[in-house]
Formats: sequence, structure tokens, C-alpha cells
Amino acid sequence: MTLQHVSRRSFLAGLGITGGGLVVGLTLPGCSSEAPPSFPTADFSPDAFLQITPQNEFVFICARDEMGQGVSSGLATLFGEELDVDPARFEVNFPGVHSAYGNPAFSGIQSTGGSAAMRGHYLPARQAGANVRSLILEAAARDLNVEKSKFSTVDGNVVVGGERYPYASFIATAQTLPIPEQSPMKTPGEFRYIGQDVPRIDAAEKSTGEAVYGIDFDIPGMKYALMKRSPVFGGSVQSFVKDEIERMPGVIDVVQISNGVAVVAETFWQAKKATDQLQIEWDTPALAKFDTSDLRADYQQALDEESGSTTDEEGDLTLAFRNVDTQIEVDFWTPYLAHAPLEPMNAVVKVENGEAEVWTSIQGPPFAQASVARALNIDKAKVRVNNAYLGGGFGRRLIATHVAEAAEIAAATGHIIKLIWTREDDIQNGVFRPASLMRMKASVDNDGIINGWTAKRVGGNILPDRMVGALPVVAPDFVPDGVLNSVVGLADTTLSNWMVDGSSVEGLAGDYDFPNRVTEHVTVNHGLPLGYWRSVGHSYTAFAKESAINVLAEAASIDPVELRLKNTRSNARQHNVINVAAERMKAMDAEKVGSLGFASHGSFHSYVAQVADVSVHGADIVVNKVLCVVDCGRPINPDVIRAQMEGAIMFGLTAALHGDLDIAGGGIVQSNFHDYPLLRMNEHPEVEVIIIDSEEDPTGVGEVGLPPIAPAVANAIFAETGQRLTSLPLRFS
Amino acid sequence: MITFELNGQTVMTEDPPDTPLLWVVRDTFKLKGSKFGCGAGLCGACTMHMDGQSVRSCVVPVGNVAGKAVTTIEGLSDNGSLHPVQAAWIANSVPQCGYCQSGQIMTAAALLERNPNPSPGEVEDTMAGNLCRCGCYPRIKAAVLAAVDATNAVEEAS
Ligand code: FES
Ligand code: FES
Repeated sequence: MTLQHVSRRSFLAGLGITGGGLVVGLTLPGCSSEAPPSFPTADFSPDAFLQITPQNEFVFICARDEMGQGVSSGLATLFGEELDVDPARFEVNFPGVHSAYGNPAFSGIQSTGGSAAMRGHYLPARQAGANVRSLILEAAARDLNVEKSKFSTVDGNVVVGGERYPYASFIATAQTLPIPEQSPMKTPGEFRYIGQDVPRIDAAEKSTGEAVYGIDFDIPGMKYALMKRSPVFGGSVQSFVKDEIERMPGVIDVVQISNGVAVVAETFWQAKKATDQLQIEWDTPALAKFDTSDLRADYQQALDEESGSTTDEEGDLTLAFRNVDTQIEVDFWTPYLAHAPLEPMNAVVKVENGEAEVWTSIQGPPFAQASVARALNIDKAKVRVNNAYLGGGFGRRLIATHVAEAAEIAAATGHIIKLIWTREDDIQNGVFRPASLMRMKASVDNDGIINGWTAKRVGGNILPDRMVGALPVVAPDFVPDGVLNSVVGLADTTLSNWMVDGSSVEGLAGDYDFPNRVTEHVTVNHGLPLGYWRSVGHSYTAFAKESAINVLAEAASIDPVELRLKNTRSNARQHNVINVAAERMKAMDAEKVGSLGFASHGSFHSYVAQVADVSVHGADIVVNKVLCVVDCGRPINPDVIRAQMEGAIMFGLTAALHGDLDIAGGGIVQSNFHDYPLLRMNEHPEVEVIIIDSEEDPTGVGEVGLPPIAPAVANAIFAETGQRLTSLPLRFS
Repeated sequence: MITFELNGQTVMTEDPPDTPLLWVVRDTFKLKGSKFGCGAGLCGACTMHMDGQSVRSCVVPVGNVAGKAVTTIEGLSDNGSLHPVQAAWIANSVPQCGYCQSGQIMTAAALLERNPNPSPGEVEDTMAGNLCRCGCYPRIKAAVLAAVDATNAVEEAS
């Protein structure tokens, strides 16, 4: 039997596997899109992958994509805890497409999103680690002829009679044994790494420039491609002048593909200069007649005149609104936004003999695989995907149109193609967080009980848009392409008219007791491509809901925190984070620079409350400090949780203070960071994070810190100025 | 043919003189640590040192680099040891996605080179030119100030 070892380089480059070592956690033979080491598969039941080299090194194959959220540290901690190896010793690799890498909490799909990694892998990753440890102990028992119960383990070593034996010394025997399935796991009292501030395992390589991102893949012989796409989504090429462009230095080819025209050159800069010169006539799609003001007028009309579909209903509103003491009604607007991860979209694709290989950074290699297979009309199994670190994801990298573009260019030119999107491409041709117009109507009785709550949202639905990319991933291979295409077409058009994506309204009536409530949705979609953006629907519904709560409290002369506490009695964990934040707020009140604003919002099975200290100088809004209280179940790595709260607050502040996309003639006006600014160092608040010490199973942290920040700031601005801002970004008109 | 010094070594390139330094370093010399974020001098992901000054290499034509000394993240520390800024970055678990961090570290290192004792306000103002979409700002600031302290402690001890 051959012993195997995968190093980072050979894994990333998809090269052959050399050396010796133990490989565990293989599945399913016959998947041609990756090359798992040749170990008998029937004996292994995987959840995560590990290889132990003869030098007792541990190569950990991280099933989830690392886009900064710390998932590689998190999964390594879960696995290392039960394997009894310090996760800092793991060398982490990212896999290609394989069914073994699905996330049980993400519909089993091999993708990374929905803040679902710890939730989905908490038990399976630990179980896998425990099973491997047990296998090593079983092998040690045979090799040393000592009873298993006499052993203990310490950081990758079996300890017995004062002697330490590296796990690696037992791999020859371990390979002959079946891997145990339900080995006992530690009790929380025995945890050594879970719950500790284990240092991020990727911090060193991300501080030395050594970390490899999709854009860093350098495949011998590759040529560079840049593209021009229709300035208005859905436009197609009428004509373009090819000859002069082809004569420009370094230009190899100019080709039309389904999304526009690509220039292929020897270097990025040659491709860039030629693309800048490229003149294209486009037709004018329906969207071309719309400006932002037209979109908003359509939204307003739908809000005022259409009843929409009811997505949630409870109790009796007619009665509630008749008997009330205080009633409010407020409309809220939130704009389209781009994700703008700092690493622009990019992909290298090689097409040869009816097969393709992809090198990129993506939130789910199967999305790259399926879109290339469709673009080239080949079997998914003929497409091999190599993934790397993601220079930010935030939902943008769930979508693989750029990979399909690179595949089309590669097929059309016969070259290995590295396609890079410029920042302008990213902001103008991306997919967008949908805009929303929301009407909140609420009533409160004399006892401070909110007895009526209606929420109505007008805007686009993401899911039908995204079905176009997702269906080919989840559809079984035997579904013929023709059928699949027509279903995808149906998703694109028909579905968007009758189906309300849950994410469109999520959070509009959440968290509170609300005995009498209705949520309604009116779909208005002008055709801009829509996508999941960090915290999805919560990114706008929390602004409307938590601002409305404060408006209601103000109208009824009730303390807004008190109102929240009174109306969350059925939601113990949300109630608790509000309580903890309220206590800390008292101390903040004594130290505050400006005024304090409160907001709380649960999402992705976690519970968050925030307090913002905000000053206003003329038109300038300065956020001095933010307190964030989070209950995300048992904290796996408190420092990673703090980092995610800090990051989500900054991301949310970019949206609250700056984020805006205007549409003119159907195209996006903004183009780069000068007119689509991100929060900068000199604008960032101090952040204090309190993590609730919970024994519940872990839940999401990547997105949950974002939703409350915009309303917390808006509520602070009201406290400071008496002005209620109801549109994002927050601006004084 | 343009000749310059890259991380202490003399290099020559036939890239046209208007090619931005960033692409020459990444694609001709295969040093991938410096990143492309905006191509317009707006984000700082491509920051390198040129004759000791931090520059946005995406907007510096390589023709202007002739005869100059360029340092990238790969050349920041000598023979395998870490620069104090890098050590502080790791100790504070600064990076999230990490894509901006080479640029952040190069800007911070240049700051400490010209001002070994920056105030928190000076750190914020200097680092304001480097965007981080992941929002690592609190830790970046803490790490720069920790690097200042560490450097001072070493100097006091010696
Ligand atoms: S890539 Fe050079 S400043 Fe953004
Ligand atoms: S760490 Fe992701 S952009 Fe800074």
C-alpha cells in the first residue's frame, strides 16, 4: 500500500502526491474532479480530512472556505480538540469539489455562507477527530502490545509508561484497521482548545505575504484577459472594432463571449490598455430607461397601492389597532449596495481535450465547477477546481459568472486564461444587495406591550436570481441540460413574480413577542442582478425594525430599552443580550462623548445587542464607540468572535455612513473607492465586545454583528439631534 | 530595459515603462504578496517602499523606478526573522481575509521608519490611506502601537 502525503503546494497546484503518511477521511471513489490519495475508501467515514505525515505533521483539509471569518482556525480547533493535537500545528489546505465536504447546516451543499460553519460542523468535526484518535490508540495497542486503556495522549503523542510515541509511529498499523465510527468525545470540562483564544492559524502567512489567494495563481503559459461588459445589465454586443485593438502591443486575441468582449494579452497591463481603447456598440435593454428616481417612484407606488403577499401573520390586527393608545407609521429606504471584497473577482481556467481546470477563490468550489460545465457544455465531472484563500467573500463569491467567462475565453482562444475584474468591473457589473422600501406600522398599549405590528417591504427577491447559479449545482447529473436550462429560465422569470424569498423579509417582525402581526411583501424587480450580501435581508430589515421600535418608544414616552425588555419575554436569549447591554450602557452613559443609541437583532441563530456612542458635527456623523453583546452559543474561539463583531460593525458602518449606488440610464454610476467609499481607519469607533458564556451549541458569528449597527447609530443620532433619519446611508438632508 | 533594485537584488525588466510597478513585481518577478485592490491609488493594497517611502505601486510606472530601491512585503524582514510590525500583527491576530494586510504592514513599517514614536492620532491619519474591507481597524491600530512599544523596549534594553 502506498503511503501518501499532501503538502500545501502540491495540493494547491493539484500536482501528484508523494511521500508517506496516514490519510484518513476519504470517501466515495470515482469522483474524477479531484485526486484523493489512494487509500481504501470503504473503511473510512469522513467528516473532515486529515493526513499525518511520517514526521508527525498534520495536514488538515478545511471543508469550508476561508474568507477571513476564521473558519480554518475554528474547524482546526474542533478537530484538534478531539484528536488531541494543538490546532496551531495544522497545515491547512482547501479542497476541490467532493461530496464529503458538504455542510449539513447549509443544505448539505459544499459552500460557505449563512454563518453556518460552526453550527454545521460542531459535532461532526469533533467526531471525526475523536475517531482518528481512537484509531491511533487502537494501532498503538497492537504495536506496543499494551491495553488501550493504559494510554493517554498529549499533543499528537501517545503516552504510556512515561514514554511518548508520536502518532506517526503507528500509521502503518493504523492503515490496516477500520476507522472507528462513534468514538467517545470529550465533555466540555475536558476541553483544552475550545473556548480559548487560540491564535488564528493563518495570521503568520497573512502577515508575511505568503498566503495564496485566487489572484496569485500563476499557471505556466497563462495569458491575461480583461473584459468589457454591457454598462446596462442585460445588454448585448451589437458591434465592435477588433482590428486596431488586435494590433496593440502584446494583444493576442479579441473575442466576443456571452457577457461581452474579452481582450487577451501577454500581460495584465497590455490587456488593460487595449480594453480601455475597445469601442463597443451595445443594444439598449429594458433597464436602460431607469434612473434611481424612477426605481424609487415605482417602489413608492407599490408600497402605497399594492397589497402584496402575506408572508407571516399572527393574532388579530384589526382589534389591536382599534384599542391602542399610541400608533406610529414610518417608511424606511435602503439602497442597492456592492460587496466590494478587496480581492476583485478573478479566475484562471485551462480547457483541454474536453476537460477544464479552474484556479480561483470561491465560496463553494461546486459553483465554479457547475458554471464552467454549463459554459463549455461538458460534464461537471470533467471540471476540476482548485480553491485558495478568499480576499473577502461577503456573499459575492457565491457567484461564479467570472469563472464561466474565463472558461468561455479559454475555449474561444485555446489559451490558459487568467481573467481579472478591475475594481470598476466589480462595482458596476457585480451582483447587488437589493434596495428596499419598508413601511412599519406599530402600536403600543398603556402597559408598554406592543399589540400591533405590520411590516411591508417592497423590493427585489434574491432567490430566483440565484437559482440560475445554484440549480446546476444541486440538480442531479442525469437531468438533461435542456430541461435544466428551461427550469433555470423559469426561475429567472416566472418564479420571481410569485415567490417571495424568505431572505427578502427575514427579521422584519422577528425577535419580539408581537402577538398581533402581519408581514407583507411586494416584489418589484427592475432586473439588476441581485445577490446575498453579508447578513442578507437582516442588513436592511434590522434598520427598519429597530428604528421603528425607538420611534414607537418616543411616541409613547417609554424608555426604548425598557420597551425592548417588556416585549421580548418569549425570547429568553434575545431578552438576555438586551439586558446585559442595558446594564453596560449605564456605565457608558457616564463616559459618553456624544449620545447613545440602542438596537438589538437576532440572526443566523445568534442574538446581538449594540449600543453606539455618536456625535454629530454639522453634517458629519462620528461614531465614537460601539458596545456589542453577542450570544452565539458556546464560544469556540472568543478572539475570533470578537474579530468578527469588530469587522461586521465596520462593514455595517460603511453601509450606514457611506454605502450608496446610484443608477443612471440603467447603469451603476459609482465605479471605484473614490465614489463608493469604505470606512477608513480615521473613522473607526472603539469596539467593546461582550460574549455571553453559553453552553448551547455554537451558532453564527460572521454576519450577526452587522444588522444592529445602522439602527443603533440612527437611534443615537435621534438622541443627539432630535432628527429621525429613515434612509441609508444616514445623511442630513 | 529598466534596471532597479528589488528587495536588495538588482533586477532588469523589459516590461514597457508605463507598466505599473505592481504588475512587474507580481507577474514578471512573481512576488505575489503585494495585492491589486483598486488600480487607482485608492486602497493601499499594493503598497511598497521606494527608496524608503511608501508608494502605491499600482500607479507608479516602472519607468520611474529605474535606479531606485524597491522593497516589498517579501523583503521587509531580513533572512527569515519577522519585522516588529509583522510580529505585532501576528500577536494581535490582526488579519481576517488578509488581502489588505501586506499593504497595511508596509505603510505601518514606513511610518515607524520615519517616526518611531507616532501618537495614536498620527497612526490613524497615516493608516487612513489603507482600506480594509474586513474592518480590522481596531486591531491594526493596536498592532502598530504595540510595535512602537516593542521597538522602544528593545532600544531601551540595548
Ligand atoms: S491597488 Fe494600488 S492603491 Fe489600490
Ligand atoms: S483583512 Fe480583509 S481586507 Fe483587510
